[in-house]
Parts: sequence; structure tokens; C-alpha cells
Amino acid sequence: MASASMTMAAAPAARTTSLRNSKFHGAKVAPMRAVKAAAVDTGIKAAGKSLDGRKLRVAVIGGGPAGACAAETLAKGGCETFLIERKMDNCKPCGGAIPLCMVGEFDLPEEIIDRKVTKMKMISPSNRAVDVGQTLNDKEYIGMCRREVMDDFLRKRAKSLGTNLVNGLFMKLDDPGQGNGPITIHYNDYEADAKVGEPKTMEVDVVIGADGANSRVAKNIDAGEYDYAIAFQERIKIPDEKMDYYKDLAEMYVGDDVSPDFYGWVFPKYDHVAVGTGTVVNKTAIKQYQAAMRKRAEEKCAGGKIIRVEAHPIPEHPRPRRVQGRVTLVGDAAGYVTKCSGEGIYFAAKSGRMAAEAVVERSQNGTKEVDESDLRVYLDKWDRKYWATYKVLDILQKVFYRSNPAREAFVEMCADEYVQKMTFDSYLYKTVVPGNPLDDAKLLGNTIASIVRANALRAAGKAQVNM
Amino acid sequence: MSMSIATQATLKVGKVAGLSRSVRSSKAKRAVKCAAAAETTTKKAPGPLQRGGTLEGEKAAGKDAGVAAKTGALFANGTQEWSDPRWVNGTWDLNQFKLPNGETDWNAVIDAEVVHRKALEDCPAVYDEDGLFDTSIVPWWVWVKRFHLPEAEKINGRAAMVGYAFAYLIDAAGGAGLVDLHQSFLGKTAIFLTVAFCLTVRRLEDLDTLNVLADEATFYDKQWNATWEGKERPSDSQ
Repeated sequence: MASASMTMAAAPAARTTSLRNSKFHGAKVAPMRAVKAAAVDTGIKAAGKSLDGRKLRVAVIGGGPAGACAAETLAKGGCETFLIERKMDNCKPCGGAIPLCMVGEFDLPEEIIDRKVTKMKMISPSNRAVDVGQTLNDKEYIGMCRREVMDDFLRKRAKSLGTNLVNGLFMKLDDPGQGNGPITIHYNDYEADAKVGEPKTMEVDVVIGADGANSRVAKNIDAGEYDYAIAFQERIKIPDEKMDYYKDLAEMYVGDDVSPDFYGWVFPKYDHVAVGTGTVVNKTAIKQYQAAMRKRAEEKCAGGKIIRVEAHPIPEHPRPRRVQGRVTLVGDAAGYVTKCSGEGIYFAAKSGRMAAEAVVERSQNGTKEVDESDLRVYLDKWDRKYWATYKVLDILQKVFYRSNPAREAFVEMCADEYVQKMTFDSYLYKTVVPGNPLDDAKLLGNTIASIVRANALRAAGKAQVNM
Repeated sequence: MSMSIATQATLKVGKVAGLSRSVRSSKAKRAVKCAAAAETTTKKAPGPLQRGGTLEGEKAAGKDAGVAAKTGALFANGTQEWSDPRWVNGTWDLNQFKLPNGETDWNAVIDAEVVHRKALEDCPAVYDEDGLFDTSIVPWWVWVKRFHLPEAEKINGRAAMVGYAFAYLIDAAGGAGLVDLHQSFLGKTAIFLTVAFCLTVRRLEDLDTLNVLADEATFYDKQWNATWEGKERPSDSQ
């Protein structure tokens, strides 16, 4: 600052010699740089160099909730966004349940929600049925939607905000390294010919991999493997009077026969029900589990016709490397599915949005380059925000999905109103709400008592058989 | 398009059911559909049913379908209907469990429920009404008397034997007698630690269980932090 004022004062006298001019020019530049350095220290670090005039090019691979929400935020933030999706009318096999907070946070219209589930029934291995949902108020519900409808809405919205929608299949990417040039994306374009794609390439600066559980981007960047569950479901069209029973009710069946480490479900869709189950540890027996699940729901689905059979992997935990250079993963590709409930849609959309927000912020609205440290900002923010939620669900899964007595205790606990309230609050609003400590202590005592009783009943049975 | 998905899915289903090597043809069909020309590895990648967490044999114990489910014998006996004259409207009718003096025979209730659950494990029944029986209606002292007391007796016995042996050894080693042991601070601390140990590690198997639990408790954290290995979190450095 001092040198700047000196320069200004000495400027009139310096007009005579070019050497002195250059010295002053040098002196003038130095304080400018000093000012710039000060700005970088206090504010957002623009790690990369400025892009001369052009916008930051970002490719989002995969047009599901994660990809579409990422593309939307990027386009709004001023980046040149390309959303590459292989199948614009894809019906991804999915439970299709979205929490209430997603409708608000992502401005989803009511039309895409087929059904508002306000009651859930949990059924234990010994057929103890517990009704969950009495604590919900009029405005709270779990939204059941068709993935093809919701995905299409999100993609169209991203397109209307400026995203370039590309109907293509991502094949591979070449990253020469930071500072050595742009990332080249190889893909097959289906725009002209829907049967055989035309190989094309595109050059971008950042890649966001949102291509789901079998992510090709993840394979490309060597992100590592993860454990996953196989979710298997049959869509069954049942007679109207039986469909009426499921008007706003979803069922959850737990038991060794239905799944050794997950649960079986009956979720109502728009005019049929989806009956399914899943497992991590014993995937080869999935058909037996499904048979057991159909048997359990036999009465309620009698006279139904199977209209579709589908299966899909569900990640169990995040991949070992969620970012590599200028490529990062979001959604199922990153492995952001909770344990215990297997919920992934909201977290996919939210992680897509958060990654895009980080890119927009760190590139200063698409005017500067970004590198791995900028993408790690998104990872850190994500971890800090949702770690508690994931950990709590992990603990619940480890405690309550261990064995049949544990599942019996789980269903017994769900009969408690306090438990229902805590569960729904944390599911619908995605915050781990600390309740009243006294109630929590009582809940802990009741949980232990339930588990002890259920285990005692089973052990007693064994003892009798032995003797 | 939906037909092709169904076909793909049925191919997957077929794979599950048969687990035969004719799987390869369906895999090839899928590969063509996706126009995956880039992959040219000759090593056969493990199929989706082999990768990622599938346990086999002993490791799957407790996490397994159970013999009945896996061999497909689950419904070999047809559907059983749970019927017991004392099971009314989805729960046990406590009026039918009365002792001669008018009180409820809780032990009989527990026995009946034990038999009920054992039967269901072997062959799940189909009900036409919801079950409503909650084990918490049986008072706590029944559970304590029947299940906790025998176990407590066994553990107290073991603790007493260990205590006696140590008291003898310490006395023989020239140390204090039993009364003096209780008066020294070191002695009191040692007794306290021993009691605490006996309560937490009641059997030798418990040591292994505690180890496994400790690993399990932190495994998920490790998986989440894997992407940060060698790197510092921005929030830590601020």
C-alpha cells in the first residue's frame, strides 16, 4: 500500500525515461498482486488459473436424481454443463420412496408423487405386527413415485436451466493430469441412431460421475469396490379390494426366512404393489428369500399377477476413493446408501447438488479451473453433514438385523410412540434429533430388555430341544 | 423397452436359480446390448453374485438363510397354520393360563411362546390376522427368576472359586491374609478390577465377542474415511 502511494506520487516525474517507467510499471504490478493475495487468504481460494473468457466445462455422467440435480446447480451457477444419459426413459428398479424434505428442498411438484404413504406395518419373524405412523401429522408422508417420472422431471428441469442434455453412453475418460489439458470423454452418441451409437469425444474440465451402482466412471478412476446388497422385487397387480388395503400403507417384513441382513417389503406403487427383498451376505439364495417373502404376504396379494421382475445392486458403504484428480463421484456411484433402510434417492440428489455447489463456488461461477482439493471440499462437507445419520443407521442395522430375537426386539421397540416419533423425524427431515435424555435413557433400557427377552425365549427353546 | 428390462431381469433371476455356467451367454447378451466394446480383459470378472460381501460356509452362520430356506424345503410341509387353543385373536389368552390359586402361570406363557417361535423358525406360518403378543406383558421378575438366576448362580460360583484361589495364593506368597487384603488400597483396587472383569467377561467366548464387537463398531468409520487416507480434511486444517 505504501509503495502504491509512492508510485502514484512519483508517476509524473517518471515520464522521462522508459527504464524508470518499467520500474514503476513493475512497482505498480507488485502492490496489485499483494492485494490479490490478501483476497485469496480471507475468501474462497481460486486454486486454478482463470479461464480466459470461456466457462468451466463440466460433464455429468448419468441422468438420474444425482446427475440431474448436479447439472441443474451447475447450469444455474454459470458452468457449461453436459449431462450424458444413456436411456431417457429408463425405469430404474427402485423402491421409489422419497422423504418429505426432498419435496421441499428440490421443489418437486405434487404430480410426480403417485401415493402418499402415511402408515407402515412392521412384521416380526413370529408375525407380530406393529403399526407405525400414528405420530405423523396431516402434512407428513413418505412419497412413493415412479422413477421414470421423477427422473424425467429432474432432467427436463436441468435442461431448461441451460444444461446440454446428451443422449449417449459413457465409455471412458482420459485425464492427462491437472495443468496438462482438458479431460477427454469418449461416449457413444445415440442422438442420430438409437440402435448403434456413434462414437464421439468431448473435452471438459471437470467430471461428476453419477452413473449409479455399476458406475463406469468409478471403474475408470479406480475408485475401488464396495460391498453391495442385491435387491430383488416383483411387481404384482393385485385385485382392487386388496389394493385398497395398501392405499397408504407400506409393509416391512423381517426374519431369517425373508432376509439374513435386510428386510422384505411390500410397497404400493401407482396401481400395483412391489414385493421384494434383498441381501448382502447370501445373494445366491435370493430366490428362496423372495419365495419366503411371497409366502408371508400370500393372503394380502392373493389373486395377483406378476407384471415385472427386476433386480438391482444397492451399495452398502462408500467407495474407498470418491475423488481422483478432477473427477468425483456422487449418489449410488459413490456408495451413499444408508444401511438398515437402504435409502438412496434423497442422498443421491443431495450429493449431486453439493458437489455442484462446491464446483460453482470454488470456480467462482465457472470462471476459474478447479482441481482435486476443490472437489474434496464437497466430500468433507458431505461427510460432516451426514456422517451422524449414516452411523446411527449402521448401529441400528448391526444391533437389530443380527438374528431373529434381535428382529423381534426391533419390532417390539417400534410399537413405542417415542421410537416412532424419533424415527420419522429423522427420516422425513434428515436430521438426527436429540430427544429428551430421560426418554432416551428409558428407550435404551427398554431396548436392552427387549433384546434380552427375545434371546432368552430362543435360548430356552434350544435348551429344551437338547434335553 | 420394459420387456427388455424384464428379460434382463429374468436372465439375472435364472442365474440365481441355476447358478450354471450358461450364465456366460446371458452375460454376453448384456454386454452386446450395452455396446461395451472397450473392455477387452480376458480374465473372467466375478459375477455380481460372487462379489461384494457374499459369505459362505461357516462365516455365513447366523447370517444365513437357514438350511430349510436354502434347500428349498421351506414350504415342503405346505403352509402350516399356527393353532393353539390358547392363542386367541393374535395373542395368548391369559385367562387360559390360570393357576389353581387364580394367578397367571407366567412360566406356562413363556413355554407356549417358546414352542410357538421354534415352530415358526422351522416353517413360517401364514396368518390371517396380525400378531399382537408383546413379551413385555410378562413381568420382569418372571424373566429374572427363570433366566437370569441360573446364569447368575453359575457366574457367582466361578467368581467365588477364582477369588478363593487367588486369596490362597497371595497368602501363601507371604502376602496378607484375607482381612488385611481388604484393608490395603492396592488390595481393594485389585478386588474391584477382578469383579469388573468377571462381570464383563463372563465366559472365555466373551473375549472373542468383545473383540469382534470392537472391530465391527469401527469398520464402517474406516470405510467412510478411506477416501481421506493420506490427505487432510479441509475442515481439520482450518
